[in-house]
Amino acid sequence: MRFILNLTRREIRSSWRRLLFFFLCIALGVGSVVALRSLIQNLTKVVGSDARALMTADVDIGSTNDFSPTDISTIEAVVSRFPTVEARNETISTAAMARPADATNERLEFVELRGIEPPFPLVGNFTLSNGEPFDFKLLENNGAVVARILLEELNVKIGDKLRVSEGEFTIVATFDEEPGGTSGFRLGARVFVDKKAFDDAGITRTTSRIRRRILYRTSDNPTPFVAELREALKGTTIQVNSYREQQENLGAQFERTENYLALTGLLILVLGGVGVWNVARAFVEQKRKTVAVLKCLGASGTRIITVYLLQILTLGLIGSLFGVLLAQGGLWLARLQFVDALPAKMSYTVNLEAAWQGALLGVLISVLFSALPLLQIRTIKPKLLLRDENNENLSRLDWTKWIFGALCLAALLALAVWQAGSLRVGAYFLGGLGATGGVLYLTAAILIWALKKVKGLGPFSVRQAVNSLYRPGNQTRVVLLAVGLGAFVVITVQILQANLVREFDFSRNRRLPSLIFVDIQKSQIEELSRLLAERTGEKPEEVPTVRARISFVNGEPIDYQQREVRQQQGQIGREFAITYREKTDEHESIIGGAWWGSGQESGEPQVSIEERMASTLNISSGDSITFDISGRKITARVANIRKIDVRKARTAFVFVFRPGPLDNAPQSFAATVLNHVPATERQRLQHEVLDKFPNVQIFDVADIIAAVNRLVNNFVIAISFVGSFVLLTGVLILIGSVALTKSQRIYENAILKTLGAKRRMLAVILISEYGLLGLLAGLIATSFAILLSVAVTRLLMDIEWEFEPLIAILGVVVTAILVTVVGAAASFDVLFRKPLSTLRLQ
Amino acid sequence: MIRLESVNKTVRSGPEDLTILNDVSLEIPDGEFVAVTGASGSGKSTLLGLIAGLDGPSSGRIFIDDDEITGASEDVLARIRSERIGFIFQSFHLIPSLTAHENILIPMEILGARNVRERSAALLEQVDLTNRGHHYPAQLSGGEQQRVAIARAFANSPKILLADEPTGNLDSKNGQHIFDLMKDLHARHNVTLILVTHDPALAGQAQRRVVLEDGRVIRDDLNHRDTETQRKR
Repeated sequence: MRFILNLTRREIRSSWRRLLFFFLCIALGVGSVVALRSLIQNLTKVVGSDARALMTADVDIGSTNDFSPTDISTIEAVVSRFPTVEARNETISTAAMARPADATNERLEFVELRGIEPPFPLVGNFTLSNGEPFDFKLLENNGAVVARILLEELNVKIGDKLRVSEGEFTIVATFDEEPGGTSGFRLGARVFVDKKAFDDAGITRTTSRIRRRILYRTSDNPTPFVAELREALKGTTIQVNSYREQQENLGAQFERTENYLALTGLLILVLGGVGVWNVARAFVEQKRKTVAVLKCLGASGTRIITVYLLQILTLGLIGSLFGVLLAQGGLWLARLQFVDALPAKMSYTVNLEAAWQGALLGVLISVLFSALPLLQIRTIKPKLLLRDENNENLSRLDWTKWIFGALCLAALLALAVWQAGSLRVGAYFLGGLGATGGVLYLTAAILIWALKKVKGLGPFSVRQAVNSLYRPGNQTRVVLLAVGLGAFVVITVQILQANLVREFDFSRNRRLPSLIFVDIQKSQIEELSRLLAERTGEKPEEVPTVRARISFVNGEPIDYQQREVRQQQGQIGREFAITYREKTDEHESIIGGAWWGSGQESGEPQVSIEERMASTLNISSGDSITFDISGRKITARVANIRKIDVRKARTAFVFVFRPGPLDNAPQSFAATVLNHVPATERQRLQHEVLDKFPNVQIFDVADIIAAVNRLVNNFVIAISFVGSFVLLTGVLILIGSVALTKSQRIYENAILKTLGAKRRMLAVILISEYGLLGLLAGLIATSFAILLSVAVTRLLMDIEWEFEPLIAILGVVVTAILVTVVGAAASFDVLFRKPLSTLRLQ
Repeated sequence: MIRLESVNKTVRSGPEDLTILNDVSLEIPDGEFVAVTGASGSGKSTLLGLIAGLDGPSSGRIFIDDDEITGASEDVLARIRSERIGFIFQSFHLIPSLTAHENILIPMEILGARNVRERSAALLEQVDLTNRGHHYPAQLSGGEQQRVAIARAFANSPKILLADEPTGNLDSKNGQHIFDLMKDLHARHNVTLILVTHDPALAGQAQRRVVLEDGRVIRDDLNHRDTETQRKR
């Protein structure tokens, strides 16, 4: 044992510089895993840890309709049976346009208006910007407490008056963080007002998307209370939620995200593993003589393998610990980059659990990827010290190697499954990675083979450069694979970004409207339409919308109290905007049943359903579906199934009724202006509309595009960040392989110099070799990036794909330059060696 | 005692089998100093390698102290080498990543010996390299490297010392110095010394001279033996 430990220590002392790449490969991979995991765990801590505070209550009963007296009494009856219910309040909220009452201030913003009643909040704290606790008295006399950012957005200050929809409120205080405010997508800054003031302002009469909530605080586990409420409210569209379920859902969601991110980290680590494998392979090759000497001196193969395995373990461990430090650096970088997009209170320190997981992964990957090369030590015979012929066993099938290979693969799968938290995802990950690596490797092999066919062409230095790619023990294919994979990720992301940004580019995309007006009342539509026509020179497209929920499908009730329905809320449990019209839209086609003829119908109501929803609900034409519209039930026969070309269609209504039955249902209108209106005029027009129709909500599409672009940019930065890590690992592998073949290059150069080659010629050979290697890597990466981006845009994102010549050219050129610079710089000192000393050593 | 019985060694060379050793039988008693000579390719180094168990014969049997090593596993051979055999190569074969001192420690550590540092220092002194122990092989001259190799070969006090042209890479002055050192150690420790050499002058100083030609022993000159060795036999 002493021999093993002593030799391990001495070997590390002498070889650590050569194994530095090994060490860095592992460090980068571990750094990615730890940073990504820590980031999402810290985010979970801030956003998802306290679902109770997020909900501001223990139980939330929500509805988009008014609670009917029957509903209220049903709820009250259940409450009376639960002495654990401590407190109750009601809230009402909607999105609305807010603008300063001062007519000279032309700004306007979307806000989320919330009417509350005391005690608020039932759970959690509500502290104002000045550090004082929120006091309900502030909201008296139409007072409003607003998010501080709104002051800046609207250029107003405390004491100013604010018009929100039809109400007028005085800003009395601001807050930085509201209870229940850190999660979910939202249109604008939050404005708190008294619920009575909300009701009095008439907003409920003229705004259709209003959410009412009754909230309860309980002294004990609210689950039985929630169960009884659900039972009692069966058959209604009222939704009951408890913070506990919310917490579970959030937890599961975050865990999934964390596991996917961890897989991204694992990808980098596995690439690092390829680097490790490469280094270990060449390391064993370099150590052949040392191993032979040790065997000659009486050390057994097993003991020698143990020495090198220990060495790998030690370096893997140190590399992993360094990776944890890198992760901390990465988190600080993330803070610099994403501080606006991430919650203010988020911590940016490495998570202990993520750190040990990452370190363990690093050590395991080091051992797994070096096991096979180390096994080669067994076959090194001491007789090579007398005569260097050690290949006699190579043709024989080495079962041990195969068994170890299979074990390593199984272990790798286990790691992927562990990180993904799912056997299926883990297996897909490894399979996908294997397939991608295989295809890249195969392409590299074909290209190299093709190059061999022309290796006699060109001047001497180029011929020599091509020859170098076939040098014994060359790393050409491995470098092509590693650098190619990194560049492939980065270039793919760039092409996708370009296509995404183009899709949302207002100036290029004529299909997008410039302004959308919603919540227009029936009594307002005519006048508003006329106003818009006058100002924009175009009669706006008017679309009636009715808000409805699905109650029955073929007579079977959709039970909103059921867990599955609640979980599928986004799909079938949500409130739908439905419309009615005589004709199909330009980009719709009927794939089942038949569209109705023109004119009003007298018989049964008819509805057209979008294809995907029809398959979700498992219905076809002829079936029946019942909607709940403000408490009224309307049953309609499915007349046809529609396919919508979402890329071209301007509206995408899931349900379209035949005109007639909905004509008198509570409804509002949406109007869209297609003509491009300059920014200043758009603002003036919005003000004019709001002065006359304060309840109307206006979406400036340019703002939406800007928001989408911001989101896309953040994603692109995040993915590019990961992609550049992959590329960096590739570059490390390149530097490592340069180091590994350096002695051969030194020897070759010594001979060439002896034969009369000048330093300049050797430099040209060097640059040509890496230039060629980089060119091949760039070509492979760019070709596959184009292929993948076509698949992702067309199949996954459903947007148009366009060739990006600039990105493609840059992809090839930058990769080639990168490889040339790195490769040449890492070997440059070779040019300055004196040939005599080199030749004497051989 | 080292005993070889009808040892043959053939290797594949392209499509053909190449005979390196052809029916070699030898008995070398303990403490004898044997010089093996012959032209290049006559099988000298292979013979030495087979005795050290670095490779196995194609046929025939080899015994070290009545223990047959033909067919023994790699690990058993490693053990025998560690305990009984020291090896000196023409190109030294020191481990470049270890200092001279550490190179000498290695065989002792493999065997699990005690007081290895003191012994290494003593060996360095015997080969006159006391002040060079902390140097790496690349920092030593050829003669110095070979002296370290000799010290390493003697580290576990082996009964057998095999030297494969130990002076082949050295100038005549250094070569003679190394040879004297081996002879001196052989005499002091009474080890069996088998020396492969091209140099007739060096071979003439051995007790026995074995000459190989095309893998066969064409001459086994026992006259070189001194009376003391004969008495021992």
